[in-house]
Amino acid sequence: MMGKSKLGLLYLDELKGYYKSKLMLVLWIGLPLLSFLMQYLQPNAEEIPLSIFVAILVGSIGGTLSSVLISTTITSERNRNVYDLFLIRPVKRWEIIIAKYFAVLTCLLFAVVISVVMGIIVDIIKIGTPISELLKINAQSLIVAFMSICIACSIGIFFGIIINSVAVSAVLSVYLGNQISAIVILPTVLIPEINVIFYAILVGVGVSILILAISIIIFSKKSQY
Amino acid sequence: MVFGIPNIDPVINLNQPLIWGVGMNTVFEIQQVSKQYRDLIALDNISLDINQGEILGYIGPNGAGKTTTIKILVGLIKQYQGSVLYQGKNIKTSEISSLLHKELGYLPQEVDFQQWRTVKHALTTFGLLSGIPREILNDSIVSTLKLVGLSDVENKKIVHLSGGMKQKLKLAQALMHNPKFLILDEPMSGLDPSFRYQVKNIIKILHQQGITIFLSSHILSDIENLATRIAIIHQGKIKKIGTPSELSEEFRIGNDIEIMYIKGSPQIRKDDLNCIQSITQESGINHIIHSSPEVETDECIKILLRYILDNGIKIRTLSLREPDLEDVYLHYVREAY
Repeated sequence: MMGKSKLGLLYLDELKGYYKSKLMLVLWIGLPLLSFLMQYLQPNAEEIPLSIFVAILVGSIGGTLSSVLISTTITSERNRNVYDLFLIRPVKRWEIIIAKYFAVLTCLLFAVVISVVMGIIVDIIKIGTPISELLKINAQSLIVAFMSICIACSIGIFFGIIINSVAVSAVLSVYLGNQISAIVILPTVLIPEINVIFYAILVGVGVSILILAISIIIFSKKSQY
Repeated sequence: MVFGIPNIDPVINLNQPLIWGVGMNTVFEIQQVSKQYRDLIALDNISLDINQGEILGYIGPNGAGKTTTIKILVGLIKQYQGSVLYQGKNIKTSEISSLLHKELGYLPQEVDFQQWRTVKHALTTFGLLSGIPREILNDSIVSTLKLVGLSDVENKKIVHLSGGMKQKLKLAQALMHNPKFLILDEPMSGLDPSFRYQVKNIIKILHQQGITIFLSSHILSDIENLATRIAIIHQGKIKKIGTPSELSEEFRIGNDIEIMYIKGSPQIRKDDLNCIQSITQESGINHIIHSSPEVETDECIKILLRYILDNGIKIRTLSLREPDLEDVYLHYVREAY
């Protein structure tokens, strides 16, 4: 038991934290509601199927939200020495980071899926688009949205680790989290020949791993002090 | 391995003498350890042994290097000069590092819990991370909470606990996996007298169970009646190590004699006797006579008694002044000011 990785335990613990702090509820209900509201407030958007609009919006808002959420949490927990009680146990620094990353991703993935599924239902009822077609179009939007969230979260982790002020950490995450995560979609808009899904997954996973690895190295170096 | 603290009535007599030491095997050996943070030397070549079964009081003013020493012992600071051995082996090796995770309990000075946790949830998480099997985790939580006196608040959110209760919870997380060695960094810091008393009681109980305790504080009274040995640290250097009586004994260098007159009695004057170096008046009838270093204190007492009888001086008491630990502590930490 002692030698076993504690990653699973930490991940479930983080998820419980999101659940207990009602953050999960806010994301799962708030995000779909917000996207519905936005669609009806923007007259031009009424022409786009709701499910696609929702996927794009949730990907963008969700990405920003998640990067702010995770960066401010880590900065504040570091400042309050919350991790000391974990690190004196058989827990590695990278396990704390990875558990946090996947917990926030899980929460957002569900928020995106809930939003899009609700969008599809509304589209079927309102426009009568066949479900197979909606699923096909939405798969692409969903993957792009989710990959941009992956990058935004890793940027949130990075700022959470290097910045000591919660406010600065939040502002930087808002500025850069969303901007950098746009690289999963931007080149495909400019160069139409690129396969959108393949490119989004490649860049999303690659950039996230790179930023996470840098973050973990910096976090581990902090134990030298 | 049996987890969970046995049920013991936490109220014990603080004046009851404790059975010191299970043996004098060295548990931790700190060997010539130095640590520097940029321009600040936090620890300057300190060496210190911690023996099995003792309560080693680690005392020094704020910023003396206590927490840095502790963070090195628990593995939170990994870069330093010198070496630290646990049971004869370097704590940097992975074998000893995982042994320490199992056998060490640590109450940090400045640490917080995540806002959303309840008392029970925090202990569940830390218990599982410490490797307590799920089947006995609940029993372990119940007995630990009982020991620290938090049974009534187990479902309360930590943010709603008072400072004293939070401190007890920090102690509970350090105890629940039945450690053999406890490191308590300022465990009574910020507590009111009632909580201080309770925490002291708990520490005594744990010591009676044979747990080795390293107890740091900047307040002498917190460790005075608890520590079996005291190390004084100041400006990153260990100034003195010894049992409380050794420290007091060694400090008996002032040769001070305390004298209390009956009101209205004539008093001893410094110039009348060669054995007196100086006299400090603590009050009208209470004087401290500092005997001259050239004369044995016992001899000086004889001279004083003869003088008192010959001159009709009326006294209530005459005694050798015992320096208390506070004098010893202040002697070492004042040096640098």
